[in-house]
Order: sequence, then C-alpha cells, then structure tokens
Amino acid sequence: MPQARTEVAPAPRAETELALAGLWRVVVLNDPVNLMSYVVLVFRKVFGFDEVTARRHMLEVHELGRSVVWSGLREKAEAYVFTLQQWHLTAILEPDETR
Amino acid sequence: MKRVEVRLGLPVVAPLLDIIKRTVDDLHGGLAAPQSLQDLDDELGFAWKSELLDGQNDDCRRFLALFDSEFFASGMVAFDDDNAESVLRACAAIRLRLRDRDLQGLPDEALEGAGVDAGKLDAAAQKAYLCYVFLATLQELIIQHLDSAILEG
Repeated sequence: MPQARTEVAPAPRAETELALAGLWRVVVLNDPVNLMSYVVLVFRKVFGFDEVTARRHMLEVHELGRSVVWSGLREKAEAYVFTLQQWHLTAILEPDETR
Repeated sequence: MKRVEVRLGLPVVAPLLDIIKRTVDDLHGGLAAPQSLQDLDDELGFAWKSELLDGQNDDCRRFLALFDSEFFASGMVAFDDDNAESVLRACAAIRLRLRDRDLQGLPDEALEGAGVDAGKLDAAAQKAYLCYVFLATLQELIIQHLDSAILEG
C-alpha cells in the first residue's frame, strides 16, 4: 500500500526572492536623442562619477550601444534604474553573472 | 543662488510654443521613452510607471512656466538651481517625443550629427526640427552654466 506523502510546495515568493538575489547590473542603452553632455551630466549626478569616468561610460553607450554603469544588489540597482529613467535615459537591469 | 537669464528671439521662439505645448499634452498620456523593469509584478510595475509619469508631468509644467507674461513682454527666461534639473529633463522628454512622433523620417546619424537640411523638410517636420534644436540649445546653456549647481543639488 503506498504511503501517503505530504509535500510542501515551495512558495512562489521564495522562487522570486531566489531569482532576485545575487548581483545585478545597471545597463544604459544608446538613444539617438539625448545630448552627450546631458548623458555625462546625468552619470556624474546619479553615480557621483568624475568627468573622465562619466565621459568614458557615455562614449561606451554611444559607440557600443550600451554601458554597464553599476553593479550590486538588486534593491539599489532598481533605485539607480528608476533615477536614470527619470532623466529619460534607457536603463535596464540584468543579472551580473561575471562574479 | 546662481541664475542665468537668457533673452530669446520672440519671433523665432513664440511660434515653437504651439508644438511644445502640444507635445507636453501628448506626454501627459505616457512616458517619453518606453521605460520598464523586468521581474516587477503588475502592481509594482504600474506604480513604477505612474511615479515616472508624475515626475515627467511636473517637469513639463515647470518648463512651460518659463514662458509666462514676462517672456512675451521681454523674451527673457531665467534658469536657476531651482528649475534647472526640471527644465533639462523636460527638454529631454519633449525631444524624445518629437523624435518619435514628428521626426521619424530622419536617420539617427543625421539627428545626432546635426546633419539635417531643415530647408528640405516639409513645414510640419521643419517646425518640429527647429523645436528639437531649440530645446537642445537650452539644455546646452543650462549644462554649461549651471552644471555645478545641478551636481551639488
């Protein structure tokens, strides 16, 4: 006679939390509209970059189509993406699988 | 508080205000750039976009406030620590919408390199392009003169 087994299904929340754990990258994508000087200013303002670093990221966006501007925990990454979107830059999050 | 006053050519700028206001009205209905974030549930995603839209609307309202009775009397607009960020963002939002709505026929390279021959555009696109360039000029002015205030603010 088969024994009854009680299995506890993992809560969907736990799966979500697992997926959101780890490190995330904030990536800025190129757009043909925003001025280079504007993008540099936004990077300096949002991330506290110096002029050279901000300009390097801006050029990466411009020439390669994207630049990883920050990497770290999801919550802070979300806050950065939100702020960049407030400035009308196209910013996305992606898992950082390099570390 | 640092303040920059700019006298604009009324005959040039006043005709652009119609298209600017129409674009701001258009922006009330949605974000200038399609923004989203992966892995957000519907409720949080809605709140995310709503908050961005509220900010965009507030920035545009502050930008339009520059063109008040004083502007129509003297052509003067003023930027300072208090309005610089909002004006910069509003200009970005309006330019993005102009590009999507009125300047779709122009290649990215031409727009980025200012390589557009406005004389070859039809009247509507010409006006949109002049507006697009005017807003960029305002952004450059603010960045040139008020960048320290913005970075410290």
